Amino acid sequence: MPIVVRIDVELARRKLSVGEFAEQVGLTPANVAVLKNGRAKAVRFSTLEAMCRVLDCQPGDLLEWVDE
Amino acid sequence: MLTTDRVVQGLRGLLMLAFVAIVLLQVMSVPGTISYNAEQSSDPFWEYPLLIVLEVELICVQVVMVATWQLLGMVRQDLIFSDAAFRWVDLIIGAMAVAWTVWAGLGAFIFVTSDDPGLPLMVSIMLLAGAVLGLLMFVMRALLRQATTLRTDMDAVI
Repeated sequence: MPIVVRIDVELARRKLSVGEFAEQVGLTPANVAVLKNGRAKAVRFSTLEAMCRVLDCQPGDLLEWVDE
Repeated sequence: MLTTDRVVQGLRGLLMLAFVAIVLLQVMSVPGTISYNAEQSSDPFWEYPLLIVLEVELICVQVVMVATWQLLGMVRQDLIFSDAAFRWVDLIIGAMAVAWTVWAGLGAFIFVTSDDPGLPLMVSIMLLAGAVLGLLMFVMRALLRQATTLRTDMDAVI
């Protein structure tokens, strides 16, 4: 997947655990893992919004394009 | 979903009743009626071919019923939009095709031998109705394919 969701960087900055993050965003830990591993095929804007709200960041801080 | 659940349960009950009725028809009524009519006839060459045709038709109806039963169960468990459903849908379409072909054979025979137009007309109408039903199943299969693709796509969205 050329688009990577950089949750772990932001999680480390906020000192949040994956479990806490999942609960605050309203995702299952399994889905958070899918996002972190870059196996996600599509993300709802509402999910992206919730992640930005919890991590207090912009979508651009979370999404990164990498050339394969 | 509660109403759907009740309708599905009611449908399954009716299917079970109809299945039992068809089994009775298969083992008692149809063989009895045909052998009685054969005894009354001077040249009962049609006895066994007709018996086989009618039994095959009834077996096809039973196959469709069992497959419908299975699909209704999948609807209840919210599994209908999966590849497993197509096995049963294809079975229904296959059974309908077999039933239609056998019936068409009987129709061709009746067309050639019958001396009044009533019976051929009746058989033709049943063939037309069968063709409409079969093609409708085909359209519904295509719709199920579309819905399954959409569901699979949506399930991948986080």
